[in-house]
Amino acid sequence: MKFFTVLGIVFYSTIIILVGLSMIGLSLSLIPMQNINNLLAYLQNSANLKIIFGLSGFLLILISFSFAQLILGKFQREKTIAFSTASGEVTVALSAVEDLIKRLTGIIAEIKELRPNVIASKKGIEVDLRVILKSEANIPELTSRLQEITRSKIQEVLGLEEQIFIRIHIAKIITPEEKERKKKDNEREDPAVPYSGFGRI
Amino acid sequence: MHNEESRTDLGNIRIHKNVIASIASLAAIEIEGVKRVGQDLKSGLMEFIGKKSFSAIKVEFDKNGEVKVEIPLIIKYGYNIPEVAAKVQENIRNNLEKMTNLLIKDINVNIQAIEKG
Repeated sequence: MKFFTVLGIVFYSTIIILVGLSMIGLSLSLIPMQNINNLLAYLQNSANLKIIFGLSGFLLILISFSFAQLILGKFQREKTIAFSTASGEVTVALSAVEDLIKRLTGIIAEIKELRPNVIASKKGIEVDLRVILKSEANIPELTSRLQEITRSKIQEVLGLEEQIFIRIHIAKIITPEEKERKKKDNEREDPAVPYSGFGRI
Repeated sequence: MHNEESRTDLGNIRIHKNVIASIASLAAIEIEGVKRVGQDLKSGLMEFIGKKSFSAIKVEFDKNGEVKVEIPLIIKYGYNIPEVAAKVQENIRNNLEKMTNLLIKDINVNIQAIEKG
């Protein structure tokens, strides 16, 4: 870990611990209100202290921005699958792989909705699929077909030979009656307004 | 350094980073399977206010004058990503070398998303 990263973590932990301790101290009346009042009054009266306080605040904001960027940058870098070619590096965002899997909804007729979550780890690519089925399909057969299709599609499109683990969670099964009821509910919610198209060109 | 400068008998020729980004963008979208060049926050905002920006494509010059290009892409659904990425890298390299005579070090491709063609 870089020196500045460690420094940032230590700095942030210290600030948060201090804030926590002062809050506990205030709630338990360990810090007398008079001391706080005196400190605030001193701050208001001293121009130098005001400048120091303001600059410290500005510095804290700058540090927090750079720290947030550091963390976000790290997260962004981790959320990709990377491979090298002769001309450079190719990184594929995990959200792009998720887009790819979502498109499989159209291939298997029994699937109403597919919500993928892709994680790239040292073991390989882990895919969590949250599925909503249209009807009472044969679940073991359907899930193994879905796993097979997902695996072959990822391998075909990404050209990767890494291991792919696919976990499927059937979140809901929509029966035809439920579908009909939902359709009727929607129709009831949006009743046709008489003469609504009247006067339109 | 913002521009790459080369010297001729008559004076200097400067190529702005945006020119390199623009060539890279055009070369990338020539390849079948590429939907469009991806965006970052800045280029998205610029496009929102009606200005074309290539800020999502990062161009860097190293000390030896070699260029490193990083380009985000949206790929069409159904295409093989490594194949498309390799073709994009090749086309960007050829076009940059042909049009600017610059030495190309790396062309890094970031696939941001997959969309239906």
